Amino acid sequence: MKNAPLTTKTRGVIAALAVIPLLALAACSSSGGSNTANPAPTDGVLTVGLLGDIGQPPDPDIYYANNGLAIVLNTYEGLVQYQNNVDTVKIAPRLATKWTVNKANTVYTFTLRSGVTFHDGTKFTSEAVKASFDRRNTVKGGAAYMTAGIKSVATPDDLTAVVTLKKANSAFLDYLASPFGPKMESPTGLEKNAGSDNAQTYLQTHDLGTGPYELTSAKTGTKYELTQYDGYWGTKSPFTKVDLPVYSDASALQLAFDSGDVSAIVAALPSSSLTKYDGNDKFNSDFLPTLQSALLTVNPSKEFFANKEARTAFMQSINQKQLVKEVLGARSSVATTLYAKGMIADGSDKQNISYDPTVFAAYAKTLPAGTAMTVGYASDNTNAQAMANIVTANLQNDGIKATAQGYPTSQVFGWASDPTKGPDAFIDGNNGPDGGSPYMWGHVFWDKTGGINYFLCDSPSTDADLNEAVATGDTSLYAKAAQTYSATGCYMNLSYNKDWVVSQKWLTGVAEAHNIGANELDFSKLGIAK
Amino acid sequence: MTRFLLRRTGSAVVLVLVLTAVVFVLQAVSPGDPVKAYLGNNASPAAIAAQRQALGLNDPLPVQYFHYIVHALQGNLGMSLRTRRPVMADLHDFLPATVELVAVAFVLALLLGSLYAVSGSLRWPGGAFFRGPLLVLATAPPFLLALGGIILFYAQLQVLPAAGRGVDSTGPSGFVLIDSILGGDATEFVAGVQHLVLPAVILSIAPSISIGRILRSSLDSTLASDYVRTARSKGLRPIVVLGKHVVRNSLGPGLSMAGLQLGFMFAGVVVVEQVFSWPGIGNYLAASIPTSDFPAIAGVTLVLGIIYIVANALVDVLQALADPRLNA
Repeated sequence: MKNAPLTTKTRGVIAALAVIPLLALAACSSSGGSNTANPAPTDGVLTVGLLGDIGQPPDPDIYYANNGLAIVLNTYEGLVQYQNNVDTVKIAPRLATKWTVNKANTVYTFTLRSGVTFHDGTKFTSEAVKASFDRRNTVKGGAAYMTAGIKSVATPDDLTAVVTLKKANSAFLDYLASPFGPKMESPTGLEKNAGSDNAQTYLQTHDLGTGPYELTSAKTGTKYELTQYDGYWGTKSPFTKVDLPVYSDASALQLAFDSGDVSAIVAALPSSSLTKYDGNDKFNSDFLPTLQSALLTVNPSKEFFANKEARTAFMQSINQKQLVKEVLGARSSVATTLYAKGMIADGSDKQNISYDPTVFAAYAKTLPAGTAMTVGYASDNTNAQAMANIVTANLQNDGIKATAQGYPTSQVFGWASDPTKGPDAFIDGNNGPDGGSPYMWGHVFWDKTGGINYFLCDSPSTDADLNEAVATGDTSLYAKAAQTYSATGCYMNLSYNKDWVVSQKWLTGVAEAHNIGANELDFSKLGIAK
Repeated sequence: MTRFLLRRTGSAVVLVLVLTAVVFVLQAVSPGDPVKAYLGNNASPAAIAAQRQALGLNDPLPVQYFHYIVHALQGNLGMSLRTRRPVMADLHDFLPATVELVAVAFVLALLLGSLYAVSGSLRWPGGAFFRGPLLVLATAPPFLLALGGIILFYAQLQVLPAAGRGVDSTGPSGFVLIDSILGGDATEFVAGVQHLVLPAVILSIAPSISIGRILRSSLDSTLASDYVRTARSKGLRPIVVLGKHVVRNSLGPGLSMAGLQLGFMFAGVVVVEQVFSWPGIGNYLAASIPTSDFPAIAGVTLVLGIIYIVANALVDVLQALADPRLNA
């Protein structure tokens, strides 16, 4: 018998036969299985699933990415942090119990917490403050700018550190409170394990912090393991171990969560999963405040947006409410300010872009028929993709040949070297500053030397106001800088994003373990429902 | 045979050089900035410029390529910008998981492919009940099969795990199955098998059909040849005819296809490793590409290229052994 080739029709039927049972299986699983909540662990192990590897070593002076903060923030502590469980930017004590700042914003004096020890047994003293700041400057990681402005660190006694800056900086406390800010590292541990790279190799798989947990295993791309530090000065959770398995696929992570093998997922699931978990009695769904936003920026280096008239008309055509409601849902709210929510307490950074699609519709009529433009989004952000699709659909209604196109993250961050290679507009699904100072927002998003002004849309007076404001802390100058930049028509704050944490019903303390700047949980604050 | 092997080795070296050169050119024309992987996406332009200089990325491309080749010959594939570890160390950690997965999947593919071919050629009763479902599954995309497998065997039936290798191999080989046998650890062995089953079966399905169809076609044509008819007319039992006269003469095309499929399996393992969070070089590569971690991408490309070339050279040798006429 000859082996006859399959016809196209036969192949189609076979493919359909293969897909149908798989789709049926998927449908079965989408309900999340049985309706009873998964039981709490009895072995003291908390399992927090990571979507994708942490990306960089969990060394606090190097780490400048996303989900690895779960490790850094639970193994190390800084002098200060943002207060947990509030939706405003408020500096709270951590290893410093109090502090004073001189009027010129150049000298910061910290009183340190007593009775604190590093995981290697070394006592925490002011000497560690100097050693930790020095290492950050030597290692020169992405967030080294936070300590680059330090002129000296004086240590008059074990529990006092006096930091003098080279020039006035009212944002310095925010640098220290930032999740990427300098953390305290054991000076003896750093010296002992220095090797030839300032202990960088050692800190890939170990830690030298004071946090509630120690890093006891680090298998890149596979799993990280934290073990409770017996000598921790603060409160301890019932979880003696925290496993952080790495899942490469969101569906596999969700299935593991549904089955109870994963206790919690922090800010990793797409909004499309909201319908499955939000309001599901089997799980907890917490929406927690952050400094993150969805942002829309336009590219003045491209012909389409070369003039301000086009930019402002386009901004007016954006239906913020539609985008937030249809795409982001409960995890976001419509942004009404130019900075992150609450950064300017009096709200004087109000975003004055009124929705009026007729302005752009009229402008579009002045363009040649079939004028093309591209709305970009980061290809790994499904929310940004959905928003870009809605925006392009609206543009097409106005006669513009608009397309939505995804770009790899590495390409997005490369546009600043040549904005003409970027799209006409870009939707950033989730981005935010390193900390809660308005300067940390304005500098990175609006100043062309800041790092995330993708299209180098520049406003020199904005930069000047920001630089003056950071020295004095003058809120009115921050507001003025924001309004000036908004007038360029290059920028719109679309939404205030929240961290969406899904957890098993038995897990307690999620909101208390979260702060506005961290985007991760303090595992020592978590518990098990009685 | 010696001349044959020398010729194959020489062409393999040239191919690897071409491969690395292509990767270098792709790196140069790709718009991503690898320094962002090193410092983080929010790093300031000033910090990025300084780091680019420190990493030698401002050197002309031919100079970078020359340095890369010289270092590679010394066993140094550079430092991953993402993990900040030597690429060789990363490959040492990730490659065994992939080799173990592909090796098991390849054996499965050979078994399933052989069964597919023999059952069809000899018209085994009920053989269609095996070939039909296999053919159906082979037409589904691997990621869909993988997700379907996880949903069925992990979420619904709860008989197989969904992610990872189960245990970290701490033995000399890096292969969980071999090290657990060497260490006499039955629990570790069972856990290793449980974690391997789903990804290996899914990875093996499509190649098994490719191998099976080619092998069946070859078996059919050999079975129809005059000398097989003569052997049958002499009264030899079908199994003897198959074993002594048919299989060896039919192996050539099947071996060629198996070699090709082995290469494809290494290249295609990325999707399966992604869905099963398998800690292999496929996952390593998938995490390295979005961040333009060039040393890691080049290292994996080099390894995959070498594996592909070696696999095909081995197939050539096996074919020459199976059919001495090819060696003449």
